[in-house]
Amino acid sequence: MRAVTWQGVNEVGVETVPDPTILNDHDVVLRVTRTTTCGSDLHLIGGYIPAMRTGDVIGHEFLGEVVEVGPGVRDRRVGDRVVVNSFVACGHCWYCRQELYSLCDNGNPDPGITEGLWGQSPGGCFGYSHAMGGFAGSHAEYVRVPYADVGTFVVPDEVSDDRALFASDAVSTGWMGADLAGTKPGDTVAVWGAGGVGQMAARAAMLLGAEQVHVIDRLPERLEQVRRHVGAEVIDYSTTDVMAELRERTGGRGPDVCIEAVGMEAHSTGVQGVYDQVKQQLRLQTDRPSAVREAILACRKGGSVFVLGVFAGPVDKFPLGAAMNKGLTLRGAQVHGQRYTPRILEHMARGELVTEHLATHVMPLEDAARGYRMFKDKEDGCVRAVFLPHG
Amino acid sequence: MDLNQLIGRATGLAGEAGAALLRQVQHVRLPGAGQASATDDPEVAARRWRVVTVLREPADVDAALPAPLTALGDRIEVRTTRAPGDRGTELAARFRGTPTEHEVGELRAALREAKALLEVGEVLRVDPQPHGERAATPQGAALEGAAKAAPREGVL
Ligand SMILES: NC(=O)c1ccc[n+]([C@@H]2O[C@H](COP(=O)([O-])OP(=O)(O)OC[C@H]3O[C@@H](n4cnc5c(N)ncnc54)[C@H](O)[C@@H]3O)[C@@H](O)[C@H]2O)c1
Ligand SMILES: [Zn+2]
Ligand SMILES: [Zn+2]
Repeated sequence: MRAVTWQGVNEVGVETVPDPTILNDHDVVLRVTRTTTCGSDLHLIGGYIPAMRTGDVIGHEFLGEVVEVGPGVRDRRVGDRVVVNSFVACGHCWYCRQELYSLCDNGNPDPGITEGLWGQSPGGCFGYSHAMGGFAGSHAEYVRVPYADVGTFVVPDEVSDDRALFASDAVSTGWMGADLAGTKPGDTVAVWGAGGVGQMAARAAMLLGAEQVHVIDRLPERLEQVRRHVGAEVIDYSTTDVMAELRERTGGRGPDVCIEAVGMEAHSTGVQGVYDQVKQQLRLQTDRPSAVREAILACRKGGSVFVLGVFAGPVDKFPLGAAMNKGLTLRGAQVHGQRYTPRILEHMARGELVTEHLATHVMPLEDAARGYRMFKDKEDGCVRAVFLPHG
Repeated sequence: MDLNQLIGRATGLAGEAGAALLRQVQHVRLPGAGQASATDDPEVAARRWRVVTVLREPADVDAALPAPLTALGDRIEVRTTRAPGDRGTELAARFRGTPTEHEVGELRAALREAKALLEVGEVLRVDPQPHGERAATPQGAALEGAAKAAPREGVL
């Protein structure tokens, strides 16, 4: 089959690779109908995530049709149209029972690498390096999905492929951030980053009852999407002092909930930006945390900060004093998608959650290198490139 | 030395060196990074109980100790304890004598597999995965060594 592979730092290409097969009784094989780029892939392609091997198939946000079913699968049939969560979770361990699916104890067959880095191993993820399990990704004609009863969801007829696709990762991640940050009716929520994840965090916060939602970015076409499709307020950080603006908009209190959806390659202006960039290039720090810093400083006393953006290692100039003295709750996670997908699909079916606008560039799988280039450079307003492996 | 330099070094080394470095990284105390029993002297570390918590009743675990553990036979002792707060059973094992690093690795893998068998009924497999052309570089070989060793490594 044809598949998109990582071929070195900032190099992706399309190759012919072997077809996947059922390896475990609870597996299914999908014929991938739509698969899309995620901001997390940029960290991976840029070489910031260790343990990528040339030839690895990437991609983890996808939808497809079941074509083969393992003997232990209970609830899926050949022909089912399913959306798949990006993290692999068993459904039986203590973490899965707590609905903390991305922390599954049995989702990463190679836990030694991340245990060594972080003291404990989270679950595995499709197409996201040998540290996260070494699973082949979804940018391919076919993909094997382990624990299919747990990680795949049949898409209701009313929901189109174009909409359901993003339940896989962008929407479930955003929803998780808004939910686990404790968003309550009446809250004011600020979201850093207007990519697919940040937009969906903002939308989820609104559906959870937030009264005011502000989204921060610098890309005009993304801020326009936030206004038009999400219905939240925006702040352009390239022209506005974010801290001052948020103080003014929130009666001097600061947002109750701050959600960071930018990640380790955050862009920042001024001295801070140069400092972080140089340290990251010299490998003196692995990650650039400027949006996290700002979120902590902007948050109201006793408020809650949720880190959705992906980080890998230690960071520098972390405002721990602000977090401690302001009594903040600081939390982060890889996506517990299985927890949120059913309700997300219901909201999608009712038309309360629209995502089609994220798919700014739809193209054949063969054009993946171009798609990633556009997505990385945010060229032509690219928010997500969607690949069609079967045309 | 910071984390990335260590990883950089790991991926800069060839073949078996990847596995060896992964092992080494886990025994270095780094601010902000995880570590195994870094301050134990090696003999004490080797003799520690290695423990996983399994979401099953102690009686179920005692009644059907999975094959990966029973395969280690008399070389290991096994202990089960009820875990606090409805977390299931703490399944612990250690070698009777002083094991080699290789044996400790075998035990880690056996405990992880035993847990998966008790909780899910199968051990998640990842080989073979579809992949494209692998450039034959020392970094690539080191990474493959590290990935291959990963089921036997970690802080367990
Ligand atoms: N936790 C999870 O499970 C999970 C899942 C998916 C994605 N992610 C992560 O979420 C982050 C966002 O993903 P995405 O797909 O939306 O990525 P994206 O690259 O499309 O969007 C990131 C946005 O952040 C903006 N940005 C950069 N610096 C900023 C700053 N200082 N302040 C405000 N905005 C800034 C960029 O302009 C861009 O619009 C990434 O780090 C990704 O890895 C995490
Ligand atoms: Zn993602
Ligand atoms: Zn689990």
